[in-house]
Order: sequence, then C-alpha cells, then structure tokens
Amino acid sequence: MPTELPYAADAELSLTYDELDVLRIQYQKELSQDHVTVQTKFNYAWGLVKSPIREHQVDGVRLFQDIYRAEPTRRRECLYYLALGHYKMGNFEEARKFNALLLEKEPTNLQAQSLSQLIEKGAARDGYIGMALVGGVAALGTLVVAGLIRRARK
Amino acid sequence: MGSEHPSRSNNDRRQIPKPGHNPSLTEGASSSSSSSVSKLELVQKAFLAPFGHKKTDSTRILSDLAPVIMTPRMINSAATVSSRPRASITSSSMTRKLDFATLGRAPLRLGLGSKRITSGDLQIFEATEELLEAEVPEPEGIASNVSLLRGFNATIPSAENSKTRRRQMRNVETPRLGLKKLGMSARGLLTEEEDTEGQSVASSEDDIVLVRHVGKKGRESLSTTKKLGREELTRQSQEIMRDKENIHVKRSLINSEIEEITNKIHALDEIRAKLEQDLLKLHEEELELDDELEGVKERIKFEQAAGHQKNSSVQNLHLPPSSRRRKGPAFLPSEHDELPPGVAFMTLESHTTPITALDFSEPYGTLVSGSQEDAQPRVWDLLSGEEIGRLRGHVGAVHCLQVEDHVCLTGGADGNVRLWDLRRVDVDDNWGAEEMVSLRDVAEEEEEGGEFVERPNGIRSSEDTEAKDNACARVLEGHTQAVTALYFEDECLVTGASDKTLRQWDLTTGQCVMTMDILWAISHPANPSLSAPIFSQSFPGSFSVLTPPYADGTRETYEDFVGGVQFWGYGLVSGSGDGAVRMWDMRTGQAHRTLLGHTGPVTCLQFDEIHIVSGSLDQTLRVWDLRMGNIFETIHFDHAVTALQFDSRKIIAATGENGVKIYNRTSYQQSTLLTNGHTSPVERLRYMDRYLVTGARDAKVKIWSL
Repeated sequence: MPTELPYAADAELSLTYDELDVLRIQYQKELSQDHVTVQTKFNYAWGLVKSPIREHQVDGVRLFQDIYRAEPTRRRECLYYLALGHYKMGNFEEARKFNALLLEKEPTNLQAQSLSQLIEKGAARDGYIGMALVGGVAALGTLVVAGLIRRARK
Repeated sequence: MGSEHPSRSNNDRRQIPKPGHNPSLTEGASSSSSSSVSKLELVQKAFLAPFGHKKTDSTRILSDLAPVIMTPRMINSAATVSSRPRASITSSSMTRKLDFATLGRAPLRLGLGSKRITSGDLQIFEATEELLEAEVPEPEGIASNVSLLRGFNATIPSAENSKTRRRQMRNVETPRLGLKKLGMSARGLLTEEEDTEGQSVASSEDDIVLVRHVGKKGRESLSTTKKLGREELTRQSQEIMRDKENIHVKRSLINSEIEEITNKIHALDEIRAKLEQDLLKLHEEELELDDELEGVKERIKFEQAAGHQKNSSVQNLHLPPSSRRRKGPAFLPSEHDELPPGVAFMTLESHTTPITALDFSEPYGTLVSGSQEDAQPRVWDLLSGEEIGRLRGHVGAVHCLQVEDHVCLTGGADGNVRLWDLRRVDVDDNWGAEEMVSLRDVAEEEEEGGEFVERPNGIRSSEDTEAKDNACARVLEGHTQAVTALYFEDECLVTGASDKTLRQWDLTTGQCVMTMDILWAISHPANPSLSAPIFSQSFPGSFSVLTPPYADGTRETYEDFVGGVQFWGYGLVSGSGDGAVRMWDMRTGQAHRTLLGHTGPVTCLQFDEIHIVSGSLDQTLRVWDLRMGNIFETIHFDHAVTALQFDSRKIIAATGENGVKIYNRTSYQQSTLLTNGHTSPVERLRYMDRYLVTGARDAKVKIWSL
C-alpha cells in the first residue's frame, strides 16, 4: 500500500504564524500533560519544517527524529519527512541517505522519486560552487607561487 | 570569494591538465543529474585522493567549518575521502564524504549568518546514523490506515475553515439587532458606554420598529432572501463530505490513542503488582530477621549459662534449649551454602517399609528414623550419610520419636517409651545386642517379644549383659496401647497413646506424673454449648479409620488416636482422632479449651506464641489463634496431611504427595519440592533453618537444602 506523502513543493509552502502558533500551543499542552500523541507531534513538526526559518527546520527535523525513534509503524513515512527536512536545510547527504532507504522499501513512491531528483540537483549545484571555490583557491595559489618565483628570480 | 565565481570557467580550464578525467566535466554539467554527479565524484576522488583517513561525525562537521581556503590545514587535518561505491545505499557509518558538495556549502556556512551551525544541527547529524540503523517495519494498524499527512490535514485548525465558510455563506442580511448587547446583559455583564447605549437602543428600536412594520404584511422566512446557487451548493456538499471524512480520520486517531493508553495502563498495572510482591518479600525478610534475633538472644543466654555451670547433675539430661522452639538460624557447615536450594542432596536408604517417624539433633548431626513394623529405629550420621547403628529394645514398631542433642525418646506400639543415649550407639554395636535396664522382668519381655528381640542375646556371651554398653537409658511404661505422639523438653515428657490418654512423665525419675483422659474430656466438654462435629462420637473400642487415598492411590488404616502433642510451660496442646485440638493445663490436668474445626483425625500439630497449626486427614491444614481460639487460616490440599512444621514465614507439610509442600505465609503461595525427590508419598518431615529431612513411603529418607 503506497504511503501517502506530500510532494516537496508542499514543504515550501509555509503555514501562517497563527496556524503554527496554534500547533505549538497544542503540542505544549499535551507535553505538560505528559502524553503527546503522534499526530500532534507530527502536525507541529511538519509546520516547523515548512517554515522558512532555519531554526524551525532544525527543530522540526529533531521532532521527526523523535517520532522515528518512538513509533516503529510510522518510520517509513518519517523517512520521507526527514529527507525532506534535511533537503530544505541543505544537508543533501542526510537527505539522500534517508530517501534512499525509503526507496528501498517502496521503489514506486512518486514523491520519493521526485525528492531524490531534487536532492541530486541540489547536491550538484553545491558541487559546482565547491568546484568553483577550489578552482579559485588553486588559481590564487598559483598566482602567489608564480609571484614568489618571479621575485626569487629577480 | 564572490570574485572567484566569474572566473569559474577559467579555473575549470586550468584544472584540466591536472586530472585526466576533467574534459568531460565542464560539458557534462548539463547532462542528467545522476551522471553529472558521478562525474563529479570521479573528479573529487581523483583530486582529493591524497587525503584519506576516516573521522567521526562531529569532527567532520567541524572540518566542514574549517576554512576551505587554508589548504595546508586541510591537508594536515583530518580530511576524508570515501570511495563509496555507487551501488551501496546504506554506507558505513563512520565515513563522510568531503566532496565538492560540502565544499560548496562551506562558504554559505561561514559567511552567511542565516545558516549558522547550532548544537541542534549537531544533534541531528549524530542521530542520523543510529536512525538509519533502526529497522523499518511494514506499517500496520493505524499507520497504514491513516497516514500522518492525512491526519495533519484533518486536525489542523484550517480544517475548520470550510465549515466556517459555509456558515458565513448562510449568513442572512438583517438589520442590526444588537444581539451581542442582549447576550451580555443576559449573562449579567455590565455593558460599557452607557451613553452610546442609549443611542444604539434608540436606533435598534427604530430598526425593530421597521422590521415589525415590514412584518405586518406577512413574515417571510429568513432563508428565502438567500439564493446560494447550484455551484455553491455542490461545493458545499463536497466540503461536507470531506469534513465527514475528516471526522472519520479523527475518530480512528483517537481510537488508536485509546488503545495505546490502555496498553500502557496494563503495563503499569503489572509493574505495580510486581512492586507489591516485592513488598511482601520484604515483610518475609523482616520476619526472618526477627527470628534470627531471637536465636541470637537465646544463644547469648546459653553461652552465658554454659560458662557458669560446671557441674551438672548426672541425672539431668542437660540439653540446650529445645530445638523445637528454637527460632534462630542453625549452625551449618559452610559448604551448605553452595547447595542449590530446593534439592534433595542426600538419600539414606536402609529401611524396607514406609517411614513412620524421624527426627534429628541438628543439621549434619545425628538422625534417628523409624519405619512401619520395624522395632529398631536406625541411627544415622548426617555428615557422612552412614548408618551408625540401631536402637534395639522395642517390641513393636516405633511410631514416634524425638531427638534432642544426644538424647532420643521413642514411643512404640508396645506402649513403652524408651530413652536412648545416642552417644552410646556405635558401628560396632550394629550386630551386637543391647541390654536394657528394664523395670519389668526380662522373662516377660521374652514372652511378649517378636522375632527381633533377645534371640541374639541368648547366643552372645555373658559380657553383653553388662549395662555398660547399652544405649537405652530408661524405659517408661504405663500406656496400655501404642504410644503415637510424644514431646519432651528439659525433664518433662508428655506422651499420647491409642488408649486415649495423655501422660506426663518426669524424666529424671522415670515416673508418670499425670494422666489426662481424652475420652473424659470429650464427654465433659469445657464449653457445653460447643457442638462437636460429626466425628465426636465416643470411641468405645479401638480407634481405626481409613485414610483418604494418597496421591499414589494407596490407603492406610489410621489408628493413632493422638496425632500430636506439644507443651510449653504448663500449657499443653493435643490433637486427637476426634478432630479436636485441645488445650490442657498441666497443673490441673483439665482441658480448658477445645478447638473444633477439623472433620477428620488430627495427625500433626505444632504451636508457637501466636498460632497453633494442625493438619488432619480431612485434607486441610488449619492455623488457629492461640489466645482467641478461632481459626486464622485454612489451607486445603488434595490429600491427607500427615506431617507439618512451621515458622513465622512458612509451613512445610507432607500432604500425601511425592513432593513436599511449602506454604509461604506472607505471600500465600504454595510451592513443591520435587527435585530428586521421593517416589512415593512423603509421610514425615522435620527441618531446621535451611536443612530439611523427609521420610516417605518409599522407605527412603532424603535430605534437602531449603
């Protein structure tokens, strides 16, 4: 049975501040009662991950990790959400790992496949930036060395 | 760093000469993401190949932070290149790719504050590894029915939006009614701004008047003014269906929560039950410590007394306090601790008929056992498990015996009670004859005796007739029928016999001091109002009852009218064949209290300061309160109870089965000792501290560690 998951684009839509606040209040209320239902935790975590603020995303991913640890039956869904969270934060390595595990379990999942493409694209982009950096460093280094040699020759 | 970006293409070209794979790279960027990444990987592998050793997760993050520009540091510090094959998805846990992707992120991490690494980030990274290790099972139950996302959509506040929207659609335009003010005043809240109130009242009155004015023509329903339109209505019906689905989702979520909570409550209940059991165990240990304290106090007294007394009169038996009342732990060899509990570790085999009586002086001391139709109880050394000798002298079988230190008293079917000195029983005497100093004629003995007695005497030489070697120190005669129960302490002995009397003896003189008639007590009960149970008809003739079957199906005829006696000071308790437990005053010889309850003959008895415990053929074991005389507890078994012994924490009983039953008095639990146990029902038992001796119908005596 295919797991119902949101496309990555959904993660880019953030909730309004009020909505997120409601979710947070609900979560904290249950926390004070010492019994947090999975749904409340998920609602709050998902709301946090959707938010553009990085701190929220970090908190959201942490909550997803809690759910992952606590509920074995929910783990497959959590794999996706964890991958999505890491992708939003820019941790393409982690995102790739989680997504790959999910694809292992469910190869036909459309959202997971699209997410893997997005992750690769993001990683590649970062790779290019990195390459550029390295190239710039190398260029700078060569210039400096050349200057030194020239000076030495003089 | 920003200046380097424009020169990117130049830099790329400069890289070309170095590694060999590069030419494809600059053009390969546009190809599909997967192949470009692989080319990237090749590049970075080749480029960063010199740097290679592993490092842990946290340090790799820190190394990510380290400025990429400082190349020497990069070389020196731990840089990782993992040559991870493309195929493996779950990589080894401790490696980390330092590839261009990470390099690309570095400037973002360093410069732009929005992506500062926090402890939260570190936590997430570190957790990733262990999470990936965890097993991902198939979703089942609620997880497969309602996905998290679905639940999210059903429970977030915006799910309510469609409902409010529909309600707003149904809002009808009416002139201002001022309902809020009406409501507030109805609730008793003061409305603010009384100035404006007057005005608004006036205006609302006007309005109301207006409405009424209209209404004279004929009131139309509010809803007729509204026309929603077909599209709107279909949309509303769809929304309602969706809302209903949401309710269904919420319901399943709540049901699964309820289930989870129920399971948790169940688990907590189990924990609570276990804790209560632990409390019971603590109580038991406390009782054990109390007993130990008693024992230590007695020991103090004993050792003090032993220090003082040097001369003891020869006639005095001079024994330590009666072992039957001793509560504290016994002195055991250290090896006893190594024994596994509940196991019969020694078996004494010599008898040929079911064991009818046994007692021992102390653990690993001397044991005396008697069996059915055997007039010679055997004496054993418990340290070695060897038979030391036999007690010869009785004419009929020995039914009861008690051992205290080196003194043994036996009661036989011939109605005599003999007192033996166990120190005088040697291996050599095994086949030697023992004379007894008898108050009666020797000739008479010979006439009565069966095959066991005196024959060997005649063969032996005259030296055996010397009184020096015999173990039997005294014979007490008086009962006319078999002595079936006895108890002695210090110099006083009480015996019960099938002639339905109890006799009290003085062991120094060997004389019977008092005779207590049970039949008389039956027919003259102290409390006439007490009606005795079925069993209390008078027993004119001999008393003989068929026992209920043992576990192996056999039955016995039970003829012991007095099943058990014990006394302390002047108080004597006896259990007899009419099922009554009687408490006697030994000064007057009268039974001042009768405890009725058993419906069968009482076979065994013991009491301490608080309770009397008696077992009988009616398959029950009753615990009575000593002072009040009422039943404290009744324990039912499947077969007749033939022997018991108890202390503050447990009652050990022989209940007609192969296993010995131990009843825990604090937890009310029963357990059975079976390991290496008897092969036929257990008949007799006696224990001291952690050392138990049992005798059964298989003619074996087994020794257990508790």
